[in-house]
Amino acid sequence: MLKELNKYLFLAIIIYLSLFSCVKEVDFDQADDFEISPVIESSLIFLDEPADSFIVNGVATPPISDYVEIDIFNNEFVVDNLIKADFVLEATNSINRGFEIQVDFINDIDQLVHTFTFSAPPSTDGSDVLSNHTEVFEGESLIALKNTSKLVFTLSILSGGAIDQSMPGRIALRSKAIFYLNIGEEI
Amino acid sequence: MRYIALLFIVASCSFSFSQNKQLLYGFSDIPQSLMINPGGEVKNDWYFGMPLLSHIHANVGITGSTVYDIFANDGIDFNTKLQNAVYSMGSRDSFSVNQQLEIFSGGFSLKNTLGKKEYLSFGLYQELDFIAYFPKDLAILALEGNQNNIGRSFRANNVNVAAEAISVLHVGYNKKVNDHFTFGVRGKIYSNIVNVNSTKNEGRFVTVRGQNNFYDHIFNLDLEARTSGLANLKDDDSDSNSVVKDLRKRALLGGDLGLGFDIGLTHQLNKQWSLDASLLDVGFIRHTKDIENYKVEGDYVFEGINPIFPDTGNGQTAEEYWSDIETNFEDLFKLDTTATKYTTWRPVKLNASLNYAFGKKIDDICNCENEEDIYQNKTGLQLYAISRPRQPQLALTLYYYRRLFNGLQVKTTYTIDPYSMTNIGLGMSANLKGVNFYVMADNFLELRNVYNAQSVSLQLGFNYIFNKNED
Repeated sequence: MLKELNKYLFLAIIIYLSLFSCVKEVDFDQADDFEISPVIESSLIFLDEPADSFIVNGVATPPISDYVEIDIFNNEFVVDNLIKADFVLEATNSINRGFEIQVDFINDIDQLVHTFTFSAPPSTDGSDVLSNHTEVFEGESLIALKNTSKLVFTLSILSGGAIDQSMPGRIALRSKAIFYLNIGEEI
Repeated sequence: MRYIALLFIVASCSFSFSQNKQLLYGFSDIPQSLMINPGGEVKNDWYFGMPLLSHIHANVGITGSTVYDIFANDGIDFNTKLQNAVYSMGSRDSFSVNQQLEIFSGGFSLKNTLGKKEYLSFGLYQELDFIAYFPKDLAILALEGNQNNIGRSFRANNVNVAAEAISVLHVGYNKKVNDHFTFGVRGKIYSNIVNVNSTKNEGRFVTVRGQNNFYDHIFNLDLEARTSGLANLKDDDSDSNSVVKDLRKRALLGGDLGLGFDIGLTHQLNKQWSLDASLLDVGFIRHTKDIENYKVEGDYVFEGINPIFPDTGNGQTAEEYWSDIETNFEDLFKLDTTATKYTTWRPVKLNASLNYAFGKKIDDICNCENEEDIYQNKTGLQLYAISRPRQPQLALTLYYYRRLFNGLQVKTTYTIDPYSMTNIGLGMSANLKGVNFYVMADNFLELRNVYNAQSVSLQLGFNYIFNKNED
């Protein structure tokens, strides 16, 4: 008799357990709040040239300019999700002349939408002179960046001390872009 | 964007250890136990399964974080929970789904003499198997970007997904040689319905401090995804009837075919102790029709550009220099589509158990054990292993089986695997006038909050069972 009772007790426990399955409160609409904010850094432009690159026949060269066509900034993903960008430039100059680097941002109908310049001061004693510049793109300038399809770089050697073909020193430039993204539902 | 979010979440809940039918294994009152050990004990003389209802199996397994961890309505910021989930999981965490549906099945004994028995079983079932590992490196890159990860390799082998839908036609032979030894084999013909896999990805993306510029961005990619049976379905989009027709044809052995086998045995050590083991789905599918493979392969190191003094050593203009860089990037991410035939191997499963039967029924009238009666209780230890793309998954089960009444048997299991130490399962099989019904589910403790469960599996089915000797 006791055995029979055990059997029913066992069954009762099973049924009780099966009825106990339930669900605690979850809210799948939270997926609407999904948001991630990765920060991407990418090398941009660089150069490393000896002084004699800027001297032709004993005189300083005129400003050297070139451009790259670039479509990454008006890419739909970037337009939708880029909330801020920094361009960080770092120059190391050991030439006794200063340099100026100008970056022009041109849109697809050849209009200038943004520009900035950055000067690298001269080195008086041949040692490395470090200089930095950070161009921040927010608000108006961020919109300008997102309209940019061409970047024009102009490097000018500034007037200063005497120069000749055998002048020592180099100018090096390194740069990177920092892209602050915010990827989420609302944007 | 919502879909990306959901995809991210699904990927975040990486999955695992499905397909373990620890409750059904060795539960010989249920004819379908022969599907897990073709060399198992056969208790019926013949049976047939109720079409489409004889075996319904579903299993979802998640390791790492659960749905509840991410979606709990607990006032904590969703993105905080998501980030915690991403950081707490590793690239070995996985999400898996396994589903089976028997279309039809049956079995009958060929010979049944004293102590000897030969039994033939057959059927057609459909199976869906999906496993995705958590792409940890990719998730971190998406979450943080590379700024805080200079020098860290984001490995492409983190992307590891396999999905297949197949139908299986099978015939099994089981022979009880004597009271001590039973063996069985089952031949299988697989028909592919849809197969998608991307399990052999190599390469990495890493940003390191550079020589000429702040950083060198090193891309070294060798990614591949293979699909079979998918391209046609996409083309069929306009007409849902033809999709259904296509799928039905493939389910009925009209798809890419494969072959495989199961083997198993039972060794009765003495009246109470027995040992059994099985190896399932040793087989392959050869994919030849309707293949579409995608490949991305390339090596490139990007250090920025030198627009003013381009590398003019080889007479390049700035324009050419820049277009070279563009071409390099395009080549790097170019998606090659091929139709190369390929072979997939089915996940091999190993089961083994050591069993001890005890407690014969006490006859109420004479208050003694009846020699003819079978043991009412059984307990034992089961081992389960499955081959998976990354590494085999193992589970160990302790069980207790009990005949409650003549037509009612129950089994309870306690299973340990790398993901759960508290997996308790319950199963029962009931016979009423030749109709057999069984239902079993595991992770009973987790069912109190199913969203917090790391694995849930359910099996149920109806059969007609006939025995010459009984009733």
